[in-house]
Amino acid sequence: MISPETLVFGVLAALGLISMVATFMAVMERDLLKAVLFSAVQSTAYAFMFYILMAPDILLVYVPVAVGLYPAVILFLIKKTERFEGGEEE
Amino acid sequence: MRRAYKYAVLVAMIVSTLALALAVSAGGLGYALPFPAVRNLAYWYLRTTYNPFMPKFTASAPEAVTAIVWDYRGLDTLFETSVFFLAIIASMALMRGIEVKAPKSINLSKYGMSAIVKTVTKITVAIILAASASIALHGQLTPGGGFQGGATAAVAPLVIIVIFSLYFAVSSGIKKKSMLTLRTLGLLGIGVTSFAVIVAGLILGKAAYVFQNQPKEAAPIGFPSHILGVPMGGTLLFFNIFEFLAVAAGFTIVFLLLSVPEESVRKVLEGGEGHD
Repeated sequence: MISPETLVFGVLAALGLISMVATFMAVMERDLLKAVLFSAVQSTAYAFMFYILMAPDILLVYVPVAVGLYPAVILFLIKKTERFEGGEEE
Repeated sequence: MRRAYKYAVLVAMIVSTLALALAVSAGGLGYALPFPAVRNLAYWYLRTTYNPFMPKFTASAPEAVTAIVWDYRGLDTLFETSVFFLAIIASMALMRGIEVKAPKSINLSKYGMSAIVKTVTKITVAIILAASASIALHGQLTPGGGFQGGATAAVAPLVIIVIFSLYFAVSSGIKKKSMLTLRTLGLLGIGVTSFAVIVAGLILGKAAYVFQNQPKEAAPIGFPSHILGVPMGGTLLFFNIFEFLAVAAGFTIVFLLLSVPEESVRKVLEGGEGHD
């Protein structure tokens, strides 16, 4: 039988791994639109982690900034510049 | 080749993260509890943040985080706020001369997304504004506060700009000038609140400090701690309201400037320095 603490820390570990993979994908992705989406996935995982770590004040500022405002700013900038990172396509 | 390399790096990162997690949970960096001296500090904050039996020490707000942010370390928060405003001012200076306005006599219903999306958005915007107001106004009682509420409220104009078009936002009153007025009002309010007690002390002939909230040992005046029997945290309520206004308006200015069509921005930028 898994104890509740172990379950909570397991969920935390899973969210941490999801956020790490999403960050890696965001850094490696050449399509910047997809990179923003990966970054939003990372932010969502972090939001759940803040909630599990009992930091509701941080969560309340993190959700609008990291899931709403920050992707919006980046999307505006991508619209104004280029969608693909420099260099030739593979 | 490059693809295989990428996946090798990813797997290596996952393995090393798991190994580090295992090492930490096995006590590799010492066990998780901080030093006893640090825990005494936390105990002191939790004991005094809302404690009617220690009126000389309490911040009279049940929410310890807001009390710490705006009372125990209020000056730090003031400088954080000024950093945010300098960033907004810098972005406005960078985009000076760019006018955010709708062309005269346009058919607003032609712009933006479909009627279904617009109807849903109308409901969502109301919900966002209500939630943000409750986050900011309850900041001294429940988790939340001015910055949190302001950042949430700033999502509403953003959604309006994206779904209904910039021209709709501008013609329904979300203008650069009115947002600037709101932002200045918020800043002014923060300034007035932080100097209110010291001015009252000068008038009444009593000692007081800048950023004072509740009465202290040598400074016997302060903000009312309860309004209608509800603990209001003295200055915290006012700081939260004004920070809410200032943050929401500041973010909205940035979004208005960013959403101006690229052609008109280029025209201004290529026009050189002489442009208005």
